[in-house]
Amino acid sequence: MSRPQDRVSAAPEAQDVAQEAERWQAATRAPHVAAHPERREPFLTQALKWPIEPLYTPADLEAAGFDYLTDLGFPGEYPYTRGTQPNGHRSALWTMSQVTGFGKGEDWAKRARYMLEQGLQGLILEHDLPTTNGYDSDHPLVEGEVGRAGMALDSLEDLERALDLPFERLKYLMSVCNAPQPVNLAMIIAALEKKGVDTRDFVLHIVNGILIEYTCVGRYIFPPLHGLRVATDCIEYIIRNHPNWAPISIISAQLQPAKANPVQEIAFSMTIAMAYLDAVLARGLDIDTVAPYFHFVINVDMDFFEGICKLRAYRKVWARLMKERYGASRPAALKIRMMTSPTTIALTLQQPLNNIGRLAIMATACALGGAGEAMTTPLHDEAHALPAEEAIRVGAALQHIVAHESGVADTIDPLAGSYYVESLTKRIETAAFEEIDRITAMGGALRAIESGYFQRALGREQYQRNKDVEEGRRKWVGVNHLVLPGEQRQLKIFRADNRMEEEQVARLKALRARRDPAAVAAALEAVRQAARSGANLVPPCLAAVKVYATHGELCDAMRDVFGVHTPDSQLTGV
Amino acid sequence: MAEIPGRPLRILLAKLGMDTHTVGITVVAHALREAGMEVIFTGLKQTPEAVANAAIQEDVDVVGVSSLSAGHTRNLPRLAQLLKAQGAADKLLVAGGVIPEEDLPLLQAAGFAKVFTMGTDTRDIVAYLRAWWGTRGAPQPPQP
Repeated sequence: MSRPQDRVSAAPEAQDVAQEAERWQAATRAPHVAAHPERREPFLTQALKWPIEPLYTPADLEAAGFDYLTDLGFPGEYPYTRGTQPNGHRSALWTMSQVTGFGKGEDWAKRARYMLEQGLQGLILEHDLPTTNGYDSDHPLVEGEVGRAGMALDSLEDLERALDLPFERLKYLMSVCNAPQPVNLAMIIAALEKKGVDTRDFVLHIVNGILIEYTCVGRYIFPPLHGLRVATDCIEYIIRNHPNWAPISIISAQLQPAKANPVQEIAFSMTIAMAYLDAVLARGLDIDTVAPYFHFVINVDMDFFEGICKLRAYRKVWARLMKERYGASRPAALKIRMMTSPTTIALTLQQPLNNIGRLAIMATACALGGAGEAMTTPLHDEAHALPAEEAIRVGAALQHIVAHESGVADTIDPLAGSYYVESLTKRIETAAFEEIDRITAMGGALRAIESGYFQRALGREQYQRNKDVEEGRRKWVGVNHLVLPGEQRQLKIFRADNRMEEEQVARLKALRARRDPAAVAAALEAVRQAARSGANLVPPCLAAVKVYATHGELCDAMRDVFGVHTPDSQLTGV
Repeated sequence: MAEIPGRPLRILLAKLGMDTHTVGITVVAHALREAGMEVIFTGLKQTPEAVANAAIQEDVDVVGVSSLSAGHTRNLPRLAQLLKAQGAADKLLVAGGVIPEEDLPLLQAAGFAKVFTMGTDTRDIVAYLRAWWGTRGAPQPPQP
């Protein structure tokens, strides 16, 4: 978006360079390439498969209409391409964190206490699949899954055990539980109340990301329209009652392993954010209040420059959307909040030590792209073993090596001005806006989910990217390149201790026998009524969990009103 | 490579229980469709009973289950047993995903002809199914 007078002043230089580049191509490069053919034909970026030129010069920036002041500006100022922090990472580094969550409530608490003792102030709580899909531990469909992929949650009792923690140390808890979010939120609030925790002195961060579940993750319960309503209830409740908490995250890091390319990832994430935003704004809140509550969690893959440019484009696209389309004006509304992470899908089961190299490259890309408020790193050995102590230590050290030894965090946005980086950043931004406009024209993210547009787009990418590996277009060390003959590696399955599941189920049955059935029935009916009337679901869920209505019962009460989502091939992209 | 009989092979792809990982099954579904097979997907979070019923109602030749959680030692034998009990033992049963070598004998004994473990090339899956389909004898005439 350069102004005409800038072009006039910039043109002679760029024109000279373009002419010189043509001369170089003809006189120097072409004869060389004729004698030494290129090792790849064509060179393409990993996910977007955009052609990569042999050389980028100021002429490329000129051709892209790049303008320093409008495209980049300055750190901490609109459009935030160079970062949302005025001093980059020179004042404070990003927060370094790791994920934990397994077993029963007290197992999680034990692990969490250990991590707090190691100096961590924030924890991430992942629930098991029965919980995230809205079932109690004794439901016939969930046998064998209790406490496996995360913590089992049936009733307030489980969270009381899990949150038996030193709250003077714990300042931040992130909870991942999307479809049944009002129930999860109600249980956490009730447990904090019981413990007498001052909720103003502590940040609860709920992911609340149901719309991405419909596009690729699959842990949904209700049809998308009702899923959005349930999520909106939670966002509204938190903004009005716990304004220091974080009610919504857009986990772009779920779209990336589902093979969304950077343009799809930005466009799908942003239109999904807009669907939540529109729903919350319709509840009478204003954009400058609501927008600062949105968080993004973003993965970076192995293509170094695609990753870096994607992070830079994310910041600018969010800022422009908030300003140009929503009329936001507060800086807090224009600044994207992001947490970054190397992706697990770049890691290999084969020759697992190679993953340390991959993680270092991706963590460096995160840092160069502007890391965000926090970075998490997966473990190099995650694919075939439970996180071992050494893997945890190496994972933590990796971020420190990037932060303290490499120097990449010592000046702000050090790759700015690179002809390649700026060309690619701008191209990603432009293509993302085109895709955002396409999705908006079809009625926004909710319609794109209901029609299967996102799901089918991801399905096609998944197939194509798998073909790239099978047919050798993408060289992947240990998988189709430098394969160790005879290396037999298997993903290890965590065979859950059946006793744990039996204990959890026994506790649940004992609770059901002990509680007041009339109070539970009345509380569940109040949830059904709120579901029907459109009243916010969090208050009746809060009342219900306090009389020990279970997680599955509360989800069933909502199923009674909303129905369930049963998508076919067209709507899953399979 | 064996010739495909007159009509395309029909396969039901299934996900059981709480396992919602779909990237693998999506890649396989696309590869099979591209190879000319007719692919039906059950959707997520199915019970063995629902998958057995769908296999019979849809009159498929093959049932393929994708499993990336540890439910396979329980769910897969149950599905095989249900199909047998309903007189549908002629359907080819295959599975794929994160299934450790040590569980293969159990699944084979239950009636699974082939388990495609992690990292299987989709071209090998297509070749396997084509070869099996080729041994199924004369093509059945298309129904009017």
